[in-house]
Amino acid sequence: MKALQITQYGAIKDSLAFNEIDKPTIQANDVLIEIKAAAINPIDKSIILGNLQDLLPIPLPSTISYDVSGIIVEKGDDVTNFEIGDLVYSRVPQEQMGTVAEYVAVTSLAVSKKPGNISFEEAASLPLAGLTALQSLEYAGIKANDKVLIHAGSGGVGSFAIQYAKSKGAYVYTTTSTTNVEWVKALGADRVIDYKTEDYKTIVKDADIVFDTLGQNYTTEAFEVIKQGGKVISVVGPLDEATAHLFGMADYKLPEELTALSKAKAAEYKFIFMHPNGSHLADITALIEDDKIKPIIDKVYPFSESIAAFTHLASGRAKGKIVIKIN
Amino acid sequence: MEELIQTIKNRIDLSPEAENYFYSISKEISVPKGSVLIREGQTVNKVYFVKSGCLRSFCTDKSGKEHTLQFAIKNWWISDYIAIHNNELATLTVECLEDSTIIEFNAKEVNGILDLFPEYEPFQRYILERHVVSLQKRILNQLQLTAAERYDLFLEQYPNIEQHTKNYHIASFLGITQESLSRIRVKKANK
Repeated sequence: MKALQITQYGAIKDSLAFNEIDKPTIQANDVLIEIKAAAINPIDKSIILGNLQDLLPIPLPSTISYDVSGIIVEKGDDVTNFEIGDLVYSRVPQEQMGTVAEYVAVTSLAVSKKPGNISFEEAASLPLAGLTALQSLEYAGIKANDKVLIHAGSGGVGSFAIQYAKSKGAYVYTTTSTTNVEWVKALGADRVIDYKTEDYKTIVKDADIVFDTLGQNYTTEAFEVIKQGGKVISVVGPLDEATAHLFGMADYKLPEELTALSKAKAAEYKFIFMHPNGSHLADITALIEDDKIKPIIDKVYPFSESIAAFTHLASGRAKGKIVIKIN
Repeated sequence: MEELIQTIKNRIDLSPEAENYFYSISKEISVPKGSVLIREGQTVNKVYFVKSGCLRSFCTDKSGKEHTLQFAIKNWWISDYIAIHNNELATLTVECLEDSTIIEFNAKEVNGILDLFPEYEPFQRYILERHVVSLQKRILNQLQLTAAERYDLFLEQYPNIEQHTKNYHIASFLGITQESLSRIRVKKANK
């Protein structure tokens, strides 16, 4: 089958190539998905550039990307919750990475039926960003009337998080640039802050939750706007100690500055490492079918132009998700 | 099953033998919400009569979106008749939208009734005509009515259906977007 593979670490155009490889074989718990669409994410760019070699070692060459939608064409003997012919989507686990291809084998635990009211391309855009937002905001215990600050509301994770928080009845602040203010407002955000003309730190006070999707100074600044006892959830900042220990970094300590800030506000700092989960994905299916959340797609590329899709991703200018139509 | 037999008896004189035959070829089953009775791409040889609950038949277009052909509530029949008649693989999926009790028949055995018990023919014709009427109305409504008018008719035809279905099921039956359906509902509520 045809697959887009990372052949070396480095610049996108030098490191990706279409290769003819064997169709994956399935284990007892796997389904084989005939891929209709794949979506790409910032993590793919980091992998290609080699920034994640230590954390996520992969053999080279490897087929790239994690988000997929398609049709189940084979299933392992132990798979009971899916049938051949089911239309599904998934964020495939690290060890099964490779969705910019014609087929992918995925453990059925990471798969859900796709929402019936959206296309394959829209469905493929959801898993990684959606699970990241859902698992982050659920960890924070989001509930009605919570004041939530979501950074980068126009991004893949941010645009989903805004809609998810609104579906829970929260009051949502979000930051974005001038050109995106209107469409981010249309996603349901209550207060859209144009970071080019406004300082969010003077607008957001006593937030129950800050969802940090930007890192660096935004992670520390979160403690200026969080309420006493609030929760700062980050998907890009430093690891928290419990998460680091899970990854085997026994001596890891949270940077002192964050420890002090967190103590001063009695606010928890938590790094969320998104994990593939079919039942969380099924919750997303229900939200999509109930029209509580809409997929936001920036652009769909044909399979043959996948490398251009990655170049577009690397530009960092996408509004919503970049999708590759495979078949 | 008694209700179905009674419905038939209201229209024709059904002999005890024919009644027995009906019982012998039918199977009452309880199916939980989410069950798929007919799956697109597979063979079809069953037709279903709904005793209670709600079923839906739909097709999926190339893009992956669903289009609802029919809902079946109490006393309705449902299957993929194209597949049965043409002896083809299913182009429709039939699923249960809520826990349902249905009576399952083998399609060939239902047709076999006519050979064994010709007195059943008027009832068969009645069912078929009712089905054709319903399909013709659906096509004409789709061609000439506004979405709001189609929605009103839909609610008349399927009373209380909204308790059993998701909005997208109804939108995809009417051939409109979920946003349009919401707008129609808001207008209706403000009338």
